[in-house]
Amino acid sequence: MRAVVSWLRGSLPVVVVVAVLLALMYPLALLLGMPLARERMGNVSNWVRGTVEALPVADATAGGERLPFGGAPEVDERLSSLERGTAVLVRDGRVVAAGVDLEDGAAVLSAPLEGPAVTLGARLEPLAAPAGSPGLAGRLHALPAGATAGAPLYLDGALLRRGSVAAVERADGVRREFTVPGAGRRDGDLPAVALVAGEAVLEGEGFELDGDTLLLDAPPAFNAPVSLVTGDYEYLDPAAGTLVVRAAVPAGAELRVAGSHVALVEGLVGPVDGENRTFRLQSTPVLETDPARVVYLGDRPLSGAAERPQERVDGARATFTFPSDRGIVTVDGREAVAGVDYERDGAAVTFRTPPPRNAALRQHPDYRVSDPATGTVTLAEAPRPGEALWAASYTFYAHPACGETAFECFLGMPQHPVPFPNWIAERLVPFLTAYPLSDPRNVVRATLYTAAGTLVSLAVGTVIGVLLAVAFVRVKPFEQALLPWVIASQTIPVIALVPVLVAVLGNLGVTVQTSLVPAAIVGAYIAFFPITVGTVTGLRSVDPLALDLMKAYAATPLQSFVKLRFPAAVPHLFTSLKLGAAAALVGALVAEVESNNRLGLGYAIIGQVQAGDVADVWILLGISALLGISLVALVGLLQRLLAPWQRTGLAADQGGR
Amino acid sequence: MADRVAEGGREERPTVISVRGVSKVFTVGKGEAVALQDADLEVKQGDFVSLIGPSGCGKTTLMRLVADLTEPTTGEIDVAGKTPRQAREDREYGYVFQAPVLYEWRSVLANVTLPLEIMGLEKGRRRERARELLRMVGLERFERSYPWQLSGGMQQRVSIARALAFDPKLLLMDEPFGALDEITREAMNLELLRLWQETRKTVVFVTHSIAEAVFLSTHIVVMTARPGRIREVIEVDLPYPRTSETRETPRFFELTTQVREALRGVEHGAAPQAPPAQKTVGY
Repeated sequence: MRAVVSWLRGSLPVVVVVAVLLALMYPLALLLGMPLARERMGNVSNWVRGTVEALPVADATAGGERLPFGGAPEVDERLSSLERGTAVLVRDGRVVAAGVDLEDGAAVLSAPLEGPAVTLGARLEPLAAPAGSPGLAGRLHALPAGATAGAPLYLDGALLRRGSVAAVERADGVRREFTVPGAGRRDGDLPAVALVAGEAVLEGEGFELDGDTLLLDAPPAFNAPVSLVTGDYEYLDPAAGTLVVRAAVPAGAELRVAGSHVALVEGLVGPVDGENRTFRLQSTPVLETDPARVVYLGDRPLSGAAERPQERVDGARATFTFPSDRGIVTVDGREAVAGVDYERDGAAVTFRTPPPRNAALRQHPDYRVSDPATGTVTLAEAPRPGEALWAASYTFYAHPACGETAFECFLGMPQHPVPFPNWIAERLVPFLTAYPLSDPRNVVRATLYTAAGTLVSLAVGTVIGVLLAVAFVRVKPFEQALLPWVIASQTIPVIALVPVLVAVLGNLGVTVQTSLVPAAIVGAYIAFFPITVGTVTGLRSVDPLALDLMKAYAATPLQSFVKLRFPAAVPHLFTSLKLGAAAALVGALVAEVESNNRLGLGYAIIGQVQAGDVADVWILLGISALLGISLVALVGLLQRLLAPWQRTGLAADQGGR
Repeated sequence: MADRVAEGGREERPTVISVRGVSKVFTVGKGEAVALQDADLEVKQGDFVSLIGPSGCGKTTLMRLVADLTEPTTGEIDVAGKTPRQAREDREYGYVFQAPVLYEWRSVLANVTLPLEIMGLEKGRRRERARELLRMVGLERFERSYPWQLSGGMQQRVSIARALAFDPKLLLMDEPFGALDEITREAMNLELLRLWQETRKTVVFVTHSIAEAVFLSTHIVVMTARPGRIREVIEVDLPYPRTSETRETPRFFELTTQVREALRGVEHGAAPQAPPAQKTVGY
């Protein structure tokens, strides 16, 4: 008991130091990781994209001066973020009202709407639930003939909103667990509906939902898309017009597709005074080239194309021909001014000074995005007063995909330069137990294998080292002849030596990939040197008075060696053995790596560094360190047993008297 | 040893050490250092002879010459009627160094058995002998201890026990208590006297301490430095057994004064400038 307490007290400084080092890993991880996280967050190409689309009126029966559009939280949020008086109401691509004000998610018109807001079309056809999924009855429907996917659907006059979120992970044919961000936020007690490989699956009939984690009963096929329906419905196959509705449609309910309908779109911000050509999209930053972007001036869709000239920009040519005979001309992104920089003759444009060779020469017939960050667009011609400029749809960068703060992005990084210690702790058990102990890939097994190799090499190195030292001390010419070679042997980088050794051993019939021999030889090769040096120092460290004493006893040289020199060298021997143990471990690891021996720790380290989790790399680092410390401690234990006169491990370094 | 003095006729006791005209010159770099010049000394059996003098007077050199740990440049030495080398090989003396020089990897007992091991004594007997010696120096309870567990005085006692292992007639002690504090040193002095009386060894004892020399010795050899010479041999006629009270007697003071003056250069008996004549120790 007392021994345990004193041992604990003795190891306290070590524990404190380790704790401090581990604690220091947190700031280090942040110091190295946060810049990467900020970079990741700042790069809009990594952001989640959002789409601005026309919002159908929420109530099919609405009319008059007040049309509701809100209802869903994200829609309300978008409506409230629109600038006052910029909403535009359109019906079938034609402006019904521009400069509309919004109030509690409803558009307030100055004059009552002519006719109903929505003309409902045919009813959707219910589809039979597949066998084994009775819960899907009333949830699967198909669009009526003639209706196109994307047209708004109304259930008893109320708008259904389409929406789904894809799983983060890719299906690999084995995985059953998928993360769907936001899946945990459920509304009401509707069962969740997942879309797996184009098929609808109802919660409880093929998967369970736990927080944001989707646990499928059977793993989906490789690369099969997995998503969760978050809106009221989602298409299974848009081309076929099949869709799944989250809330089962009662038998008598009217699920209809809209024909002509009023929708709310975003007006571009800017004064329409016949002079101004610069306007602003409201959800930013926008994509510079966005195939989904459709901007209308009144009832006319504008072309956002960027035309290239027919001719090469060679630095000498000044006249270029574009497909269209109008538009903004830019040179390397800068707008050229008509009449100043160039003259236009139909589709041909003649510059005063030829554009530089290979300059990007473009013509934007109707408008161009002049600053994606602020959503600024420049029109070729200023709209006349009274004309409505509106965006039917466009894509923008909504928010960083990795999280809302840099710290969240840091936490979500797939690879950290330095991990948090608690991540290492979390990985510890899974990493160590990833394979059974009988599997060579098991890390504990690999560690023991390398330990065995190191011990063998240390034993060989010790025998060689001590014998050499004794020979050096006893026979002077031996030292003169061999010492330069011994020193030279240590100047050869082991990493260069191992391939030679491996080739030789291979020729001798040793299967180096599964043999301890390379590790034993290389370890011994490195370890013997400190042992030789230490033992020679020890043998020579004898107190001259002690030698006099032997002389006074008329001892023979052999007696003097056995009873005085050798015991006096023991502390030095053990000190050098500790150095040798650490060196032998390095040698064994290098030998394992270079002989492509997959049974040991060396291969595991290299493998992890190349393609592993950074936490695993740190675990391997810890294991290697622990192995080294254990080997040195083992030598220390041996020292206690064989040299009990030593006061402490430190006294070993004093040697002599 | 009052009885010794009483019974002692000088011719009855054989000479143990005879040093005649011995010089020792060390080569230091390109120059030479005379450690000892023309030393003459005779030690009779049963004497306790102290060598005292300032540092560099050749005390230790003289001891090492006697022990054949180094060889004289000129002159002759006899130890127990043999050459020093022969005497060393016959293990005629025990040597106690300034430092205990205990082998730290050996227990106290094993340190004392070491000389006997080298001698080739059988294990049981050497242990028996070592235990006896440890009892003699009062360390029988520490035989299993390692040297570092003992105090300086205890270590030096082990060293003395070890020197006595061969049961040599001659004990050479080179400042054995030099590193000890005054209190321990006086206790060790008493102990040494008791040992000397019990074992009837001949002792040659190097010291820096006048009081120690007077207290212990039958004769004090006063030496001077640069070059190392024997200046004078003072006979100590304090009666045995000597105790702590001996240190407080007037005679003790007289003798210490005499030694001190001799060290300072005031000659007694011989003419001040007389060449160093043969100085015979004895009665």
